[in-house]
Amino acid sequence: MTIDRSRIGFATAPTRVPIDARRVKLFCQAIGETDAVHWDAEAARAAGHAACPVPPTFLKAIEGEHCSSATLLQLLQVPLTGVLHAEQRFDHLAPVHVGDVVSVSRRIDRIDDKKNGALSFVVVDTDYRVGDRTAARSTQTIVVRNAVTA
Amino acid sequence: MTWPAEITLSSGPVTPVQLALFAAASGDHNPLHLDPEAARRAGFDTPLVHGMLSMALAARLFSQHLGVGCVRSLHTRFTGVARVGESIHFTATLEREADGLAHYALRSVTAGGGDVLAGTAVVGPPPP
Repeated sequence: MTIDRSRIGFATAPTRVPIDARRVKLFCQAIGETDAVHWDAEAARAAGHAACPVPPTFLKAIEGEHCSSATLLQLLQVPLTGVLHAEQRFDHLAPVHVGDVVSVSRRIDRIDDKKNGALSFVVVDTDYRVGDRTAARSTQTIVVRNAVTA
Repeated sequence: MTWPAEITLSSGPVTPVQLALFAAASGDHNPLHLDPEAARRAGFDTPLVHGMLSMALAARLFSQHLGVGCVRSLHTRFTGVARVGESIHFTATLEREADGLAHYALRSVTAGGGDVLAGTAVVGPPPP
Protein backbone atom coordinates (compact mmCIF):
# COMPACT_ATOMS: atom_id res chain seq x y z
CA MET A 1 0.00 0.00 0.00
CA THR A 2 1.02 3.61 -0.46
CA ILE A 3 0.24 6.07 2.29
CA ASP A 4 -1.52 9.26 1.23
CA ARG A 5 1.16 11.95 1.23
CA SER A 6 -1.40 14.76 1.36
CA ARG A 7 -1.51 14.28 5.13
CA ILE A 8 2.10 15.42 5.56
CA GLY A 9 1.90 18.60 7.61
CA PHE A 10 -1.46 17.66 9.14
CA ALA A 11 -1.53 19.14 12.65
CA THR A 12 -4.02 18.64 15.46
CA ALA A 13 -5.53 21.63 17.26
CA PRO A 14 -4.11 21.72 20.82
CA THR A 15 -6.27 20.27 23.58
CA ARG A 16 -5.71 20.47 27.33
CA VAL A 17 -4.95 17.32 29.33
CA PRO A 18 -4.88 17.52 33.14
CA ILE A 19 -2.22 15.39 34.87
CA ASP A 20 -3.70 13.40 37.75
CA ALA A 21 -1.84 11.47 40.43
CA ARG A 22 -3.74 8.19 39.92
CA ARG A 23 -2.69 7.96 36.29
CA VAL A 24 0.94 8.72 37.17
CA LYS A 25 0.86 6.11 39.94
CA LEU A 26 -0.53 3.47 37.56
CA PHE A 27 2.21 4.30 35.04
CA CYS A 28 4.85 3.99 37.79
CA GLN A 29 3.45 0.59 38.84
CA ALA A 30 3.69 -0.63 35.26
CA ILE A 31 7.32 0.43 34.88
CA GLY A 32 8.47 -0.68 38.35
CA GLU A 33 9.06 2.87 39.56
CA THR A 34 8.76 2.81 43.37
CA ASP A 35 9.73 6.40 44.24
CA ALA A 36 6.57 7.93 45.74
CA VAL A 37 7.65 11.49 44.85
CA HIS A 38 5.89 10.87 41.51
CA TRP A 39 2.39 10.51 43.04
CA ASP A 40 2.52 11.44 46.75
CA ALA A 41 2.48 15.23 47.26
CA GLU A 42 4.00 15.01 50.75
CA ALA A 43 6.84 12.78 49.58
CA ALA A 44 7.47 15.20 46.71
CA ARG A 45 7.61 18.25 49.00
CA ALA A 46 9.87 16.40 51.47
CA ALA A 47 12.26 15.70 48.58
CA GLY A 48 12.27 19.39 47.60
CA HIS A 49 9.92 19.25 44.57
CA ALA A 50 7.26 21.92 44.04
CA ALA A 51 4.76 19.11 43.31
CA CYS A 52 4.94 15.50 42.05
CA PRO A 53 7.15 15.38 38.93
CA VAL A 54 6.04 12.96 36.19
CA PRO A 55 8.54 10.35 34.88
CA PRO A 56 10.35 11.41 31.66
CA THR A 57 8.37 9.32 29.19
CA PHE A 58 4.97 9.70 30.92
CA LEU A 59 3.96 12.45 28.48
CA LYS A 60 3.63 9.85 25.72
CA ALA A 61 0.91 8.23 27.81
CA ILE A 62 -1.38 11.28 27.76
CA GLU A 63 -1.31 11.57 23.96
CA GLY A 64 -4.29 9.23 23.81
CA GLU A 65 -6.40 11.85 25.63
CA HIS A 66 -5.46 14.22 22.81
CA CYS A 67 -5.03 12.20 19.60
CA SER A 68 -3.32 8.81 19.83
CA SER A 69 -0.88 7.48 17.26
CA ALA A 70 -3.47 4.77 16.52
CA THR A 71 -5.94 7.54 15.62
CA LEU A 72 -3.36 9.25 13.40
CA LEU A 73 -2.71 5.93 11.63
CA GLN A 74 -6.45 5.52 11.12
CA LEU A 75 -6.47 8.96 9.49
CA LEU A 76 -3.70 7.70 7.18
CA GLN A 77 -5.76 4.51 6.59
CA VAL A 78 -2.92 2.33 7.89
CA PRO A 79 -4.15 -0.78 9.77
CA LEU A 80 -2.37 -1.40 13.11
CA THR A 81 -1.26 -4.91 12.08
CA GLY A 82 2.24 -4.60 10.72
CA VAL A 83 2.94 -1.34 12.53
CA LEU A 84 5.89 -1.04 14.94
CA HIS A 85 7.40 1.79 16.93
CA ALA A 86 10.81 2.43 15.35
CA GLU A 87 12.18 5.42 17.20
CA GLN A 88 11.26 7.91 19.90
CA ARG A 89 12.84 11.11 21.16
CA PHE A 90 11.99 13.40 24.09
CA ASP A 91 13.41 16.82 24.89
CA HIS A 92 12.51 18.13 28.33
CA LEU A 93 12.70 21.89 28.77
CA ALA A 94 10.89 22.16 32.12
CA PRO A 95 9.52 19.66 34.64
CA VAL A 96 5.83 18.67 34.36
CA HIS A 97 3.98 18.01 37.62
CA VAL A 98 0.77 16.37 38.82
CA GLY A 99 -1.86 19.13 38.79
CA ASP A 100 -0.47 20.75 35.64
CA VAL A 101 -2.73 21.06 32.61
CA VAL A 102 -0.71 20.16 29.53
CA SER A 103 -1.70 21.53 26.15
CA VAL A 104 -0.86 18.83 23.58
CA SER A 105 -0.63 19.19 19.81
CA ARG A 106 0.72 16.75 17.20
CA ARG A 107 1.85 17.08 13.62
CA ILE A 108 2.64 14.55 10.88
CA ASP A 109 6.10 15.74 9.89
CA ARG A 110 7.22 13.21 7.28
CA ILE A 111 6.19 10.05 5.46
CA ASP A 112 9.08 8.22 3.74
CA ASP A 113 9.31 4.87 1.93
CA LYS A 114 12.37 2.64 2.26
CA LYS A 115 13.48 -0.70 0.85
CA ASN A 116 11.53 -0.18 -2.43
CA GLY A 117 8.33 0.52 -0.56
CA ALA A 118 8.51 -2.55 1.70
CA LEU A 119 8.65 -0.18 4.66
CA SER A 120 7.07 3.22 5.22
CA PHE A 121 8.16 5.54 8.02
CA VAL A 122 5.73 8.01 9.54
CA VAL A 123 7.28 10.73 11.71
CA VAL A 124 5.06 12.57 14.22
CA ASP A 125 6.15 15.59 16.28
CA THR A 126 4.36 16.38 19.54
CA ASP A 127 4.46 19.60 21.53
CA TYR A 128 3.56 19.71 25.24
CA ARG A 129 2.94 23.17 26.70
CA VAL A 130 2.32 24.16 30.30
CA GLY A 131 1.04 27.72 30.66
CA ASP A 132 2.67 29.82 27.99
CA ARG A 133 5.80 27.77 27.48
CA THR A 134 6.80 24.49 25.88
CA ALA A 135 7.68 22.01 28.65
CA ALA A 136 8.67 19.17 26.31
CA ARG A 137 8.78 18.06 22.70
CA SER A 138 8.83 14.56 21.27
CA THR A 139 9.34 12.89 17.93
CA GLN A 140 7.91 9.45 17.19
CA THR A 141 8.87 7.36 14.17
CA ILE A 142 6.41 4.61 13.26
CA VAL A 143 7.39 1.91 10.78
CA VAL A 144 4.71 0.33 8.62
CA ARG A 145 5.69 -3.10 7.30
CA ASN A 146 3.66 -2.97 4.12
CA ALA A 147 3.91 -6.72 3.41
CA VAL A 148 2.30 -7.49 6.79
CA THR A 149 -0.29 -4.75 6.44
CA ALA A 150 -1.37 -5.70 2.90
CA MET B 1 28.55 16.77 39.85
CA THR B 2 30.64 13.70 39.10
CA TRP B 3 28.99 11.48 36.53
CA PRO B 4 29.42 7.70 36.81
CA ALA B 5 31.18 6.02 33.87
CA GLU B 6 28.55 3.29 33.62
CA ILE B 7 25.14 2.61 35.13
CA THR B 8 22.91 -0.44 34.66
CA LEU B 9 19.40 -1.67 35.37
CA SER B 10 17.77 -5.08 34.91
CA SER B 11 14.00 -5.31 34.51
CA GLY B 12 13.41 -8.88 35.68
CA PRO B 13 11.06 -10.98 33.52
CA VAL B 14 8.36 -8.73 32.01
CA THR B 15 5.04 -10.38 32.88
CA PRO B 16 1.71 -10.34 30.97
CA VAL B 17 0.23 -8.46 33.95
CA GLN B 18 2.88 -5.77 33.59
CA LEU B 19 2.06 -5.42 29.88
CA ALA B 20 -1.66 -5.14 30.72
CA LEU B 21 -0.90 -2.49 33.35
CA PHE B 22 1.26 -0.60 30.87
CA ALA B 23 -1.47 -0.79 28.21
CA ALA B 24 -3.91 0.78 30.69
CA ALA B 25 -1.44 3.39 31.96
CA SER B 26 -0.14 4.36 28.51
CA GLY B 27 -3.35 4.10 26.49
CA ASP B 28 -1.53 1.83 23.98
CA HIS B 29 -4.02 -1.00 23.59
CA ASN B 30 -2.43 -2.53 20.49
CA PRO B 31 -3.28 -6.26 20.88
CA LEU B 32 0.25 -7.11 19.67
CA HIS B 33 1.28 -6.63 23.33
CA LEU B 34 -1.60 -8.50 24.94
CA ASP B 35 -3.03 -11.19 22.68
CA PRO B 36 -0.92 -14.17 21.49
CA GLU B 37 -3.15 -14.58 18.41
CA ALA B 38 -2.72 -10.93 17.38
CA ALA B 39 1.03 -11.31 17.90
CA ARG B 40 1.05 -14.35 15.57
CA ARG B 41 -0.86 -12.43 12.90
CA ALA B 42 1.85 -9.76 13.08
CA GLY B 43 4.54 -12.44 12.62
CA PHE B 44 5.70 -12.95 16.23
CA ASP B 45 5.49 -16.11 18.33
CA THR B 46 4.47 -14.30 21.53
CA PRO B 47 3.21 -10.85 22.57
CA LEU B 48 5.89 -8.17 22.53
CA VAL B 49 6.91 -5.73 25.24
CA HIS B 50 5.77 -2.18 24.36
CA GLY B 51 8.71 -0.15 23.03
CA MET B 52 7.56 2.66 25.29
CA LEU B 53 7.75 0.34 28.32
CA SER B 54 11.39 -0.43 27.45
CA MET B 55 11.99 3.31 27.00
CA ALA B 56 10.34 4.08 30.36
CA LEU B 57 12.70 1.56 31.99
CA ALA B 58 15.63 3.25 30.25
CA ALA B 59 14.48 6.59 31.69
CA ARG B 60 14.19 4.96 35.14
CA LEU B 61 17.81 3.82 34.83
CA PHE B 62 18.84 7.49 34.80
CA SER B 63 16.36 8.77 37.44
CA GLN B 64 17.31 5.99 39.82
CA HIS B 65 21.06 6.58 39.61
CA LEU B 66 21.26 10.31 38.90
CA GLY B 67 18.11 11.76 40.48
CA VAL B 68 14.48 12.47 39.59
CA GLY B 69 14.32 15.18 36.94
CA CYS B 70 17.83 14.62 35.60
CA VAL B 71 16.76 13.61 32.06
CA ARG B 72 16.98 16.54 29.62
CA SER B 73 16.82 14.50 26.44
CA LEU B 74 16.28 10.84 25.62
CA HIS B 75 16.46 9.32 22.16
CA THR B 76 15.98 5.62 21.46
CA ARG B 77 15.83 3.49 18.36
CA PHE B 78 13.95 0.24 18.86
CA THR B 79 16.52 -2.08 17.32
CA GLY B 80 14.79 -5.35 18.18
CA VAL B 81 11.90 -6.71 20.19
CA ALA B 82 11.58 -8.09 23.72
CA ARG B 83 9.04 -10.86 24.19
CA VAL B 84 6.77 -11.25 27.18
CA GLY B 85 8.62 -13.19 29.91
CA GLU B 86 12.04 -11.93 28.91
CA SER B 87 14.28 -9.82 31.18
CA ILE B 88 15.76 -6.66 29.71
CA HIS B 89 19.16 -5.35 30.72
CA PHE B 90 19.99 -1.64 30.29
CA THR B 91 23.49 -0.15 30.20
CA ALA B 92 24.39 3.54 29.90
CA THR B 93 27.99 4.53 29.23
CA LEU B 94 29.30 8.05 29.78
CA GLU B 95 30.53 9.50 26.48
CA ARG B 96 31.31 13.11 27.32
CA GLU B 97 30.51 16.04 29.57
CA ALA B 98 29.81 19.57 28.35
CA ASP B 99 28.31 22.66 30.03
CA GLY B 100 27.37 20.75 33.18
CA LEU B 101 25.50 18.10 31.20
CA ALA B 102 26.51 14.48 30.69
CA HIS B 103 25.98 12.59 27.43
CA TYR B 104 25.40 8.85 27.74
CA ALA B 105 25.19 6.12 25.13
CA LEU B 106 22.39 3.72 25.92
CA ARG B 107 21.90 0.10 24.96
CA SER B 108 19.53 -2.58 26.10
CA VAL B 109 19.45 -6.29 25.37
CA THR B 110 17.33 -9.22 26.48
CA ALA B 111 18.77 -11.84 28.82
CA GLY B 112 19.21 -13.97 25.68
CA GLY B 113 21.36 -11.25 24.09
CA GLY B 114 18.86 -9.89 21.56
CA ASP B 115 18.96 -6.16 20.86
CA VAL B 116 16.02 -4.16 22.23
CA LEU B 117 17.00 -0.53 21.92
CA ALA B 118 19.96 1.76 21.43
CA GLY B 119 20.20 5.47 21.86
CA THR B 120 21.52 8.46 23.71
CA ALA B 121 20.61 10.49 26.78
CA VAL B 122 21.57 13.94 27.97
CA VAL B 123 21.30 14.37 31.74
CA GLY B 124 21.92 17.25 34.08
CA PRO B 125 21.71 17.97 37.80
CA PRO B 126 18.13 17.44 39.12
CA PRO B 127 16.23 20.77 39.18
CA PRO B 128 16.25 22.59 42.56
